[in-house]
Amino acid sequence: MLDPFLQALADILTQPTLLALSLGGVMLGTILGALPGVSSTMALAILLPVSYPMSPEHAMVFLIAVFSASVFGGSISAILVNIPGTPGAIVTQFDGYPLARAGKAGHALSYALFASTIGGMIGLAILVVVAPIIADAAMSFRSPEFAMATVFGLTMLAYSSPGSTFRGILVGALGLLCGMVGFDALTDVPRFDFGFAFLQSGIDIVPLTVGLFGLAEVMRNLGSRQAGAEGVPAIGSILPPWRSLVRLTRPMLRGSLIGTFIGAIPAAGSAIAVAVAYAQEMRLSKTPERFGRGAPEGIAAPEAANNACVGGALVPMMTLGVPGDTMTAVLMGALLLHGLRPGPLLFAENPGFVGVIYGGLFFAVAATLACNLVLIRAIVQVMRTPMHILMIGIAALSVAGSFAIRNSINDVYIMLFFGLVGYVLGLLRLPAAPMAFGLILGPILEENVRRALIVSRGDWTVFIDRPIALVMLLLSLVALLYPVAAMGWRRLRAARNGTGRTEPLRQTDG
Amino acid sequence: MNRSISIPKFVRLGAAAAVLALAGTMAGATGAAAAGFPDQAITIVVNWPAGGGQDTAARLIADYVAKNTSVPVVVSNVTGAGGAAGIRHVAEAAPDGYTIGIMGSSFVARQYINPNATRLDQVEPLVFFGPDPGALEVRADTGIKTVKDYIDRLKAKPGSITNGNDAPGGSSYIVAALIESKFGVKMTKVPYQGYAPTVAGLLAGEVQSATLPVHQFVDQYKAGTVNILGVASDERHFLVPDVPTFKEQGFDFVAGDWRALFLPKGVPADRVKALEELFYKTMSDPAFVEAGRKAGFVVTPMHAKETAARIVETDEAIYPVLLEAGLVKTNKKQ
Repeated sequence: MLDPFLQALADILTQPTLLALSLGGVMLGTILGALPGVSSTMALAILLPVSYPMSPEHAMVFLIAVFSASVFGGSISAILVNIPGTPGAIVTQFDGYPLARAGKAGHALSYALFASTIGGMIGLAILVVVAPIIADAAMSFRSPEFAMATVFGLTMLAYSSPGSTFRGILVGALGLLCGMVGFDALTDVPRFDFGFAFLQSGIDIVPLTVGLFGLAEVMRNLGSRQAGAEGVPAIGSILPPWRSLVRLTRPMLRGSLIGTFIGAIPAAGSAIAVAVAYAQEMRLSKTPERFGRGAPEGIAAPEAANNACVGGALVPMMTLGVPGDTMTAVLMGALLLHGLRPGPLLFAENPGFVGVIYGGLFFAVAATLACNLVLIRAIVQVMRTPMHILMIGIAALSVAGSFAIRNSINDVYIMLFFGLVGYVLGLLRLPAAPMAFGLILGPILEENVRRALIVSRGDWTVFIDRPIALVMLLLSLVALLYPVAAMGWRRLRAARNGTGRTEPLRQTDG
Repeated sequence: MNRSISIPKFVRLGAAAAVLALAGTMAGATGAAAAGFPDQAITIVVNWPAGGGQDTAARLIADYVAKNTSVPVVVSNVTGAGGAAGIRHVAEAAPDGYTIGIMGSSFVARQYINPNATRLDQVEPLVFFGPDPGALEVRADTGIKTVKDYIDRLKAKPGSITNGNDAPGGSSYIVAALIESKFGVKMTKVPYQGYAPTVAGLLAGEVQSATLPVHQFVDQYKAGTVNILGVASDERHFLVPDVPTFKEQGFDFVAGDWRALFLPKGVPADRVKALEELFYKTMSDPAFVEAGRKAGFVVTPMHAKETAARIVETDEAIYPVLLEAGLVKTNKKQ
């Protein structure tokens, strides 16, 4: 597989057209990904027609560059203005935004950028070497595995979201409810539409996240009197010291591995991967209380995972002809228009083209790093924008972004509603992110639980009969019960050591 | 110094974004100055997301129609509500001929299942694109090789084969339900959301058979992991010319999806005529047919009258099946 890959890479570097297409794709992808409301899928869909007159190779190099760069682009707005440009960047903003507000926007973006690069490269390397093996594993997933993977992802999210696990679950459950609005996935019966035709379309993730994070942030700023006085945070140095990046090597590697393998799971990939990567870092950290307040690991690990998913998501498409998510579905649509059908025979019949995809992805990841290293200086200037101007910009982008996703004014109303919800959640000190994840994962969970039960003819043991599903269920239970068990253990120890020592402990707790 | 530059930069970024994102819908401003109709951009509304079959077909049409008209033809995806949102968008658009929709056979089923769906009498069929014939596929490890094997196995043990298909009303569900009613058998129908997940379900072994169009399984068929038992059309499919039709195997069975362009009701007759000729001419172009084949489409354009007849035919075939399955919730026929 290496020869066609190197050949394609040499082509890109020596052919000015390919080079220009890839660089252009990276720039467009970064910008579109950074715009709230324009997800990676949207970015691809907008630029798809541009690729039609091109040759298949050119089209693929261009679109892969857009895809790969838009994933990093999503974290730019997450870090700078607390709106995830793409849903996969929701976790990045947990620590990215606090760090940016503390005057270290450049650092936060650099962490994200380097993590993206490493994640993208590792995802690609694994794609090149073991794609067929991952594909086999991904394809052994049936509905019970999907259902339990989703449960695992939700648990990890509740565990990692700011505040207690209990609060996370509470808000996540609300997200699950929102996910039930619209057509029942298995019977096509409209549910929870309250008689409004537009609610039959369900609640799209983009208006929800844009409202929940973007508009709510605007409202919070309007509500706080000091907003004007708070003014502009200092920008400080752009690039973080080298050693702080080196210190992030392990989180980035862990995140990349998690992203590649979980990213290959069709449909649920990146949302679960970023949650798992973040929770993992929190668990391994000696100082988990820094998470949510600008911990560099909290940016690096999920960002690496998010970008490693690009390689992972391409696996089912390349090897089996099954697009794992909406992004690869658009890519596959582009291939079909050119008369190329990805699938098990693509490797055998057209190895050169497989090389083009790999080479294109490799170059795109490298170009994203190079371009953004130059651009970060300009990008962080956004932080200098006076708060009141920035807020107007965010509000305008929120409206435009949520309209654009389906060309529907109703999505703007939905965005406004969730802006209010996000504001209220903030007042109640409840984390907002689990709601977004509940909305993404809820429908996947429901659909797969029910389908598993149809296939098993109503037998619930289907979820513990299959080993992968069982392991994920047990892991979720451990993650949920661990805090309770740990608390019990502490109490027990405290009781054994006598009351004298528990008194001061309690005081520090309160 | 940076301060004064950075603000407009951000605003410009936003403006550029809005323009880019809305380009699909607001292309009306770029209308060419041709005399008479059409003299501004025509929008083809696709009711499914970019990258799907409907979208690919629409974009091919938009690409090739440029040969025959000077106005831009753009594709806009209005998605949601299981495809109903985009259809409604077209039906409620101004009947000036500048908004065109593309529909599949699920339109017909939808109007009985969903009380909010657009009814056939609210739209005007324009030009037929082509059929997307149904087919029956099984995993090779089931050992089933012909349609007869399949039917026999189900007759011996009703419900013993799990079949992957759309949610009720979707075209691959209809094909499965038609097989059941036509041959008096019963399978266990497992719903998936769309073709790709159904393919994944069959490959993972969660279901043993599927009723998808053949282009979903060409590679797996050639690799020998999936057997395509038969194609439910009058002729064999060009992608897998060695797979016999149901008819060749002695089962008189034709079913599947199709695609057609349509207009909202009330477009002036001369404009309907102009559009009908424009798109019929485009789709009859051998270069277009060839491009369609490359993407896996059978292209057999028909005029508005024949298109309407074809839709009625589908309606008559599937209504009894939906009725029997208890899926007729609205617009019940007397």
